[in-house]
Amino acid sequence: MPSRWPSILLVGLLGVSLQPVWARPAHRRALADYLGARLETKLNDCRTCHLPAEPGSDPAVDDRPHNPFGKRLAAVRGELRASGKKSGLIDRIEAVADEDSDGDGFSNLLELVSGRHPGDPADRPDPMRRQQDLARLEAFRAGRVPSDWSPFEPVERPIPPAVRDSAWIRNPIDRFIAADRETKGISPRPEADRATLLRRVSLDLTGLPPTPRQLHDFLEDRSPDAYERVVERLLASPQYGERWGRHWMDVWRYSDWAGWGMQVRDSQPHIWHWRDWIVESLNEDKGYDRMIVEMLAGDEVDPGNPKTLRATGYLARNYKLLSREKWMQDTVDHTAMAFLGITVGCAKCHDHMYDPISQVDYYRLRAVFTPHQVRIDRTPGEVDTSKDGIPVAYDADLNAPTYLFLRGDDRNPAKEALAPGVPEFLGGTFRVEPVGLPLEASAPQTRAYVANDDVDASRRSVQVAREKMIRADASLALSLPTPLGPIAHATAPSMERHLTEVDAHRAARAEVAVAESKLDSLVSVLVVERLINEGRRESLEADDAARRTVAAQRRLAVAEAAKRSLDAELARRRPTPGGRAASDLAHAKAERERIDAERRLAEPADTKFTPRPFPSYPPTSTGRRLALARWVVERRNPLTARVAVNHIWMRHFGQALVPSVFDFGRNGRRPTHPALLDWLADEFAGRGWSMKALHRLIVTSATYRQSSTPESRALAVDPENTSYWRFAPRRLEAEAVRDGLLFIGGALDAAMGGPEVDHSLGERVPRRSLYFRHAAEKQMTFLTLFDAASVTECYERRPSVLPQQALALANSDLSLRMAESVVRDATAPGRSDPSAFVIEAFERVLGRSPTEDERRACVEYLERRRVQSSPEDRSFESLVHVLFNHHEFVTIR
Amino acid sequence: MTSIEGKDRAMDRCRGISRRSFLVDTGLGFTGLALGAMLEREGMARITTASDAPGGGGAETRRPRAKSVIWIFLCGGVSHVESFDPKPELNRFAGKSIEATPYADAVNPERLKNVVSPNPAHGGRKVLMGLNTAVRRHGQSGLEVGDWWKHVGAHADRLAVVRSLWTTDNDHGAQLQFHTGRHVREGAHPTIGSWASYGLGTLNQDLPEYVVLGEPTGDCCGGSWTHGASYLGPEHAGVRLNVGSKEPLPFVQPPSGRLSPQEQIEEFGLLGRLNRLSGIDYPDDPTLRARIKSYELAFGMQTSVPEALGLERETQATRRLYGLDRDSTKSFGTLCLSARRLVERGVRFVQVFHGGGGGGAWDAHSGIKANHSTLAEQVDLPIAGLLQDLVQRGLLDETIVVWGTEFGRSPGAQGDGRDHHPQGFCAWLAGGGIKGGVVHGATDEIGFHAVEDRHYVTDIHATVLDRLGLDPAAMQIPGRRRLDLDIGSPIQQILA
Repeated sequence: MPSRWPSILLVGLLGVSLQPVWARPAHRRALADYLGARLETKLNDCRTCHLPAEPGSDPAVDDRPHNPFGKRLAAVRGELRASGKKSGLIDRIEAVADEDSDGDGFSNLLELVSGRHPGDPADRPDPMRRQQDLARLEAFRAGRVPSDWSPFEPVERPIPPAVRDSAWIRNPIDRFIAADRETKGISPRPEADRATLLRRVSLDLTGLPPTPRQLHDFLEDRSPDAYERVVERLLASPQYGERWGRHWMDVWRYSDWAGWGMQVRDSQPHIWHWRDWIVESLNEDKGYDRMIVEMLAGDEVDPGNPKTLRATGYLARNYKLLSREKWMQDTVDHTAMAFLGITVGCAKCHDHMYDPISQVDYYRLRAVFTPHQVRIDRTPGEVDTSKDGIPVAYDADLNAPTYLFLRGDDRNPAKEALAPGVPEFLGGTFRVEPVGLPLEASAPQTRAYVANDDVDASRRSVQVAREKMIRADASLALSLPTPLGPIAHATAPSMERHLTEVDAHRAARAEVAVAESKLDSLVSVLVVERLINEGRRESLEADDAARRTVAAQRRLAVAEAAKRSLDAELARRRPTPGGRAASDLAHAKAERERIDAERRLAEPADTKFTPRPFPSYPPTSTGRRLALARWVVERRNPLTARVAVNHIWMRHFGQALVPSVFDFGRNGRRPTHPALLDWLADEFAGRGWSMKALHRLIVTSATYRQSSTPESRALAVDPENTSYWRFAPRRLEAEAVRDGLLFIGGALDAAMGGPEVDHSLGERVPRRSLYFRHAAEKQMTFLTLFDAASVTECYERRPSVLPQQALALANSDLSLRMAESVVRDATAPGRSDPSAFVIEAFERVLGRSPTEDERRACVEYLERRRVQSSPEDRSFESLVHVLFNHHEFVTIR
Repeated sequence: MTSIEGKDRAMDRCRGISRRSFLVDTGLGFTGLALGAMLEREGMARITTASDAPGGGGAETRRPRAKSVIWIFLCGGVSHVESFDPKPELNRFAGKSIEATPYADAVNPERLKNVVSPNPAHGGRKVLMGLNTAVRRHGQSGLEVGDWWKHVGAHADRLAVVRSLWTTDNDHGAQLQFHTGRHVREGAHPTIGSWASYGLGTLNQDLPEYVVLGEPTGDCCGGSWTHGASYLGPEHAGVRLNVGSKEPLPFVQPPSGRLSPQEQIEEFGLLGRLNRLSGIDYPDDPTLRARIKSYELAFGMQTSVPEALGLERETQATRRLYGLDRDSTKSFGTLCLSARRLVERGVRFVQVFHGGGGGGAWDAHSGIKANHSTLAEQVDLPIAGLLQDLVQRGLLDETIVVWGTEFGRSPGAQGDGRDHHPQGFCAWLAGGGIKGGVVHGATDEIGFHAVEDRHYVTDIHATVLDRLGLDPAAMQIPGRRRLDLDIGSPIQQILA
């Protein structure tokens, strides 16, 4: 949440509760953006520009007349436009800043910064306070960020500004930060101490704290690039992909399947393949541009490659059994928010109120996705897609039309279908070219592994059937009623048993025949298919293979008919609902079919074999999604890189450069450092969209390496740290809290990837948190208590501090067990030296040694608890348990 | 950003802070702070009620008339025509198609359009079904109530029945809609309980502000969204307490034998000391303060939650009042009694679900007579007992009890059941600031359409918030536009 939020919230509650009137949010926002912290409460109100409401009148602001200031703002729009200037609200406020709209003798801006209504002549600054007001005006002007940042224009690489304190600069990021900070007259904090820095960067890049060993190595490493080498080690570790994979899973809305009982209603089974693709892609530092292309159109750009197809889980995740409408809406809205930072969703029902996105634009964008559906492709080694498979997106209906819905109501489609397209105001080229698909994409059964797996499975069935027959043979032999005497002497029950075994034996033989024929038939048909796919349909070889296949399929038909006939015969022995006559009839029919099948087998074989029964999909894809993806990742696209670097920056610093991370439009918030954002965006795209390069740049900056401790003067000037005069402490994400407990306890299972683990096993299965089921109603309680991502939407975590979190850390079996585990693994000389143990415990849990005060407090505690404790001394465990509950444990400092 | 944290931060700005003030603030010891925090938040709540605000116009209507809400929600759709909006005309025309009655216009297709993407499986039940329960007049107000609800009926003069509700979802997603005002397809939005929590804060820091009892709405129909807070943040979401369970709240107690209360006090003592030591360098960090407080609150919750749910201390007479002595009523009676104990202890909003999971137990597409008579028997007496108990303890004046369901059931038969019916249904309210013995609004003669003083479900929300002293229209977050329909308007005619 933007850090300014709580105060606005208070304004909402305190200031406006009497007269519930609200100016258009964008206007209020613009005013808030313009005046920043200088916005007086009473001005954050519609009455700044509008006349007050008549008592009892409709509170709708749009109908309320403007006061002189509001009138002037409305009028100046035309003037600005006529001279080709920008005419956003901020531009207009700037244009009339020095005018005096209400004629009370004070300029509009002076009134605004001194908390007076510029449209109300009766409300004017106190002449006695003129000096202070002028000082405020000057301070305001000095601190103004120029308002020329245009998120919808392509990025132009800014030149890193010159700064006074150039000794502080480590890389260009610092120039932008320092230049802005110096205008406020604040000094940066010194570099954080090494232990703090190591823990910060370790948690930040891998989600795991440093080990005491790593801590000591770093503390002792006096080489100038010691820190940089730590950064390289962390970026190269597989845990980096897990940590940042989870971040991107937030943005891309990862969700395991959810539903009603076993019915899949949301997302898809086995969607974890997409999660693994995310983690792997990050670890191999795949370019962000390529990642977007694979997620939006992996099936079009690399259709034959199951590894790439996993990426389209991004789309499959939006599946909604009960509403294609909502499915499409989610796909369109979130694709726009995640990659472009624009809120096109508004335009589903009407033209966007703030940004130049028409309702037609919305449905054109939607048309990009209209043809697509999801399916589950087989994965090597598993023939049953209910057990495993890869959810993939593909174009199912190439000609499906897209209609604009009047007022967004799907019951009222417009008459004419819309062609796919992208919002024009963002420029770029959107060119759709249909993509011809290779056979293994349109007919997935032609993939080599599918055939091989089927043959293996078929062989296994033969094996199973044969084993069953061998067992039946043995039981039959044992059941012979009187091995030594004539059958006539057998007792009735033993005869009965024998006949049952005979039946079972016959059934087993029939099953073997069926299994063997199936295998034979499968192998034959594969030969023909291969020849055909090799373009040798007309060859003699193919002809021969086809005939052999027909023969094999006829043999299979005989075996199956024989089995059915036998089943029918055996069924006659049991009482059936239709009575004896019905089962006689059924048997006679089955027997006739068997004879027919045998007759067909005897006929000379032709070449009309039956192909394998598999679904087949269109041989081409529309190429719409690929066109969209290519447009999104074009260097000239003004938003893609800006939005991505903003997300990455936010997760390093706990605050974003553009606080509204999913809305870069006019209803969003302006960046605190527009030039830095643009520079980073250009740098990111210019370095091949390498995320690791961007992380490296950020975490090695002087800005990032600052101490997080406050300093009173800076705190007074900039309490929200918008000028990054320090590294602001922040709470760890839910996953890092849980993973940290396991890691410190030495229990964390480093295994990567694979099917999601049941969410109820979070306290028992020591896998990293991102591998647990995360779906509607199926989330680990421990994680939800620490504000885990919402399943439906999470562009930004909102860390809270709740008593339930205290309960989770204080009372969970997990934290108690891990505390015991830390004591068990301790290398300190044991209970004889409490002081050494305290130091080790601090290093392991908090990544630093204790201060003298802390050490003393802990040693005292240990000594006191030891006296009080029974022979089963738990004092050491107790100390570690306390440290797990320490504020620092859940905080990055 | 939590409210604890957010409000603290706001105060910090006013006060200016230093290392010393940090130590003073957080040095009150282990229990001192909880009280301080509570008083601060109480202050917040009262200012918002505008009786303290300057100007005072309309302040009269903003004076809080109630402190807490018990929100009883029956999942699946209770028949309105056989509960609090009985329709004797149905007996007269039973077996006839609506088109063959004087009320044929009810099924005029134009009037049936206002259901959002209706599930084609539902609706179109035109052959009227007679009432499956007798109807009687109750109290001085003469309120007509179906006999399945005779115990609640006995409190007729305390109830304000709203007979003209409508909603737009013809399926059980309407359960979510009843709580957020939004169709299930629009996803999560703050619920009425979360707005109450957001607007008021707590009266008891040892208990959650917003508690959920019983089996909530199933995943199909909104699931946890029906007691969520959406963008208001998790601190305003309903906290499910499992009445009768050993763990009524996640992690409310350590695993047995692992940590004695004395050991825990020791641990928390050291923890407080260490947190303060490491906080010296961070005098401005509101999250550290909030964390220190959260441990104090957590410590209290460990005992106060189980205590609040410990019904064994209730007298036999009270237990009988809620039907704890009978198998049929015991389960829901336990929830109602727990609800009273929670509001008594300062919980703001207690949401009591009955028949949750799946579409909901009351979803009587067939065999409505057996279904509703059985289910009503489970809840009628306990709800009446709750009203009685609140009265005798003087709590009804400061508590609002709401009885609701997602939609009514069709006047037309679906075999021997009734179908979903969003076009007209009823709810009632009772308690602080609510008129008793009032019927407001009406459906047509066969209970099909709400025709008189129609109210969308959020008007119930607005009414409740208003009685709590909040301005429903001020319940907004910048950047999160709420529609008028989301906010609703207080139903003036039932306000006392």
